[in-house]
Amino acid sequence: MSDTKIIIDANSSSFFSLKEIVRYKNLLNNLARRDFLVRYKQAFAGIMWALIKPLINILVFGYISVKINGSADAATNFVYVASAILLWQLFSSVFNDVSNSIVGNSNLFSKVFFPKIIIPLSTILVCLVDFFISLIILIVLFIISGQSIHWQIVLAPLFILLTILNGFGIGLYFATINVKYRDVKFIVPVMVQFGMYVSPVIFSTNYYLERLPQWAHWIFCLNPMVGAIDGFKYCLFGGDAIYNSSYFIVSLCVSFLFLIIGIKYFYKFERTFVDHI
Amino acid sequence: MSNNTVIKVEGLSKKYLLNTNLQERSDTLYGNVINNIKSLKNIGSKKQTEEFWALNDVSFDVQRGDRLGIIGRNGAGKSTLLKILSQITPPTKGRIEINGRIASLLEVGTGFHGDLSGRENIYLNGSILGMSKHEIDKKFDEIVDFAEIEQFLDTPVKRYSSGMYVRLAFGVAAHLAPDILIVDEVLAVGDSTFQKKCLGKMEQVSETEGRTILFVSHNIETVLRLCNKGLLLEKGQLKTAGSINEVTRAYLDTKSGVSSFKSWEKDERPGNDITKLINVKIHTEKNEVNEEYDVTKPIGVTMEYEVLKDGEVFTHSYNFYNENGINIFNTHDTVSELRTKPRKKGVYTTTMWIPGNLLAEGVVLVNVAAIKIEPFTILMHEKECVSFTVMDYMRGDSARGNYILGFPGAVRPLCQWDTKYKG
Repeated sequence: MSDTKIIIDANSSSFFSLKEIVRYKNLLNNLARRDFLVRYKQAFAGIMWALIKPLINILVFGYISVKINGSADAATNFVYVASAILLWQLFSSVFNDVSNSIVGNSNLFSKVFFPKIIIPLSTILVCLVDFFISLIILIVLFIISGQSIHWQIVLAPLFILLTILNGFGIGLYFATINVKYRDVKFIVPVMVQFGMYVSPVIFSTNYYLERLPQWAHWIFCLNPMVGAIDGFKYCLFGGDAIYNSSYFIVSLCVSFLFLIIGIKYFYKFERTFVDHI
Repeated sequence: MSNNTVIKVEGLSKKYLLNTNLQERSDTLYGNVINNIKSLKNIGSKKQTEEFWALNDVSFDVQRGDRLGIIGRNGAGKSTLLKILSQITPPTKGRIEINGRIASLLEVGTGFHGDLSGRENIYLNGSILGMSKHEIDKKFDEIVDFAEIEQFLDTPVKRYSSGMYVRLAFGVAAHLAPDILIVDEVLAVGDSTFQKKCLGKMEQVSETEGRTILFVSHNIETVLRLCNKGLLLEKGQLKTAGSINEVTRAYLDTKSGVSSFKSWEKDERPGNDITKLINVKIHTEKNEVNEEYDVTKPIGVTMEYEVLKDGEVFTHSYNFYNENGINIFNTHDTVSELRTKPRKKGVYTTTMWIPGNLLAEGVVLVNVAAIKIEPFTILMHEKECVSFTVMDYMRGDSARGNYILGFPGAVRPLCQWDTKYKG
């Protein structure tokens, strides 16, 4: 007989706890494994899709960017766009998958108890695997275009993490709304698509800010992905990717604000998901 | 909380809000906005949601090693209770203290994915139920053995037969090692062999390992077989708690309102102008009226009736039904002397003996009738007026012998068996 003691009452609530997540790491792994295995099952190209999808995007948007910028160094321009697109795809897949994760797995938590945060966390792992596979493209482009490697590259994982936290925070918020309002599954793709045009994906932050009036600069930088993408580019290419450090810091703050709001909102309603699903 | 109490429930209530008007359900943002505007317009008008108390002030204790059967009609709050106990949904009021690791099987195969192989699903399902990788590794062979799927381990489960699927699902669940196991009646899917296997496993878990089981079922025989304690819920409230026999009895009483004895007031007696029924009783050979009867002993069914007209000829009939509505057997009087003789006015009694070792365990409902054979006429027919429970007290002299698991069948005769050695 183990000496676990559980108290259930009307007011007890849980909050984000690493200890709990560690206790359920086996479930976390297995859910991620399931999603990953299922994602490419019965697909002829299988895991190749994790390459094909971003490759097409990079080709299209890279081409547009080169045409518009009229840049002399097309290869560099391509790598630049590719790095942003990969990061954006990581964000959008985390955002989209997290926001659908709770509703999509309602059959699990309506039958068995476990910390529900495990579900969105496990979807992150799947998105990460796809991301790492797609990094191959970036590495190849890096070599082809003959980029030099800067010391800042060791910081790159931080911005990958920031991207994930962005998608996770906003995703949790939408995952919670999704429990009651299924409109979310239509809103999120629209947000992702629109978001890409107001983030430094195809063009640099510089490009946007030069064309925006002064008062709109702050609004542009309220986008949490501005900080993540600029930071990532800075790590890869050095130089002037971070256009203005105060804008960069604003964007970082917004990231953490969204993360906190997302987690708080999720835990506020987590216990009653079953009653509304 | 005493040392042996594993679950203590105090004043548990759960409220749901129901949308009364289906057309104004607000499952989309748009719908909700529209509803908000509407409700702004008629401030002070009646609310559109209605409160529904699925559970209302329920309190009980469960002791270590108890097998608690939770019974009640549909909508009595059984599933809500299990959901709260397994922490799937929070209570609105009240408090529960649970000592020990708890696992719930509200559905077997939770999280099974059709595209994954049996092996992958064992690990997935095991981890959903809270097993560690190490625990699953240790039990893996046992699970595969129990499910009898060895050669299909690497086949996607969507290609499994439904039997294999359920066996695999239960196999994982059965090898959980919680202190308290919560099982919903959904387990009752599958064929009888499978059910037997499940019940056997649960019995084993509880008896040899001292685990506590909470079990919900509609099937009274299964509950009687498996559980030693019971809880009866009615409309969200706790009606009775106690030994399983008491509780099932109370349940059947609320269900049919009948017991082993029934008599009628003079002006309510069933029948016609020839004969009227006064009372009916079920009794033992010693003429004791009980609620439970030993499966090995004869059971007497006696009707007392009044004949209102001289010179009528009629006979008597009983029909027996089990709790599933199956007509176990019918009998009419073809032997007593009076049946062929014209009757005098007055009060008569007729007793029929059901031989021992005939009925299966469970609840039996009795119809009583008085009939004329030629031409066939029903003088009096009272349906389900008395009922009783047949119990096997497990002395080994019944048709069960020493077998203790589920034993289906409408009747359970003690048959003659011969085995000869032929060389």
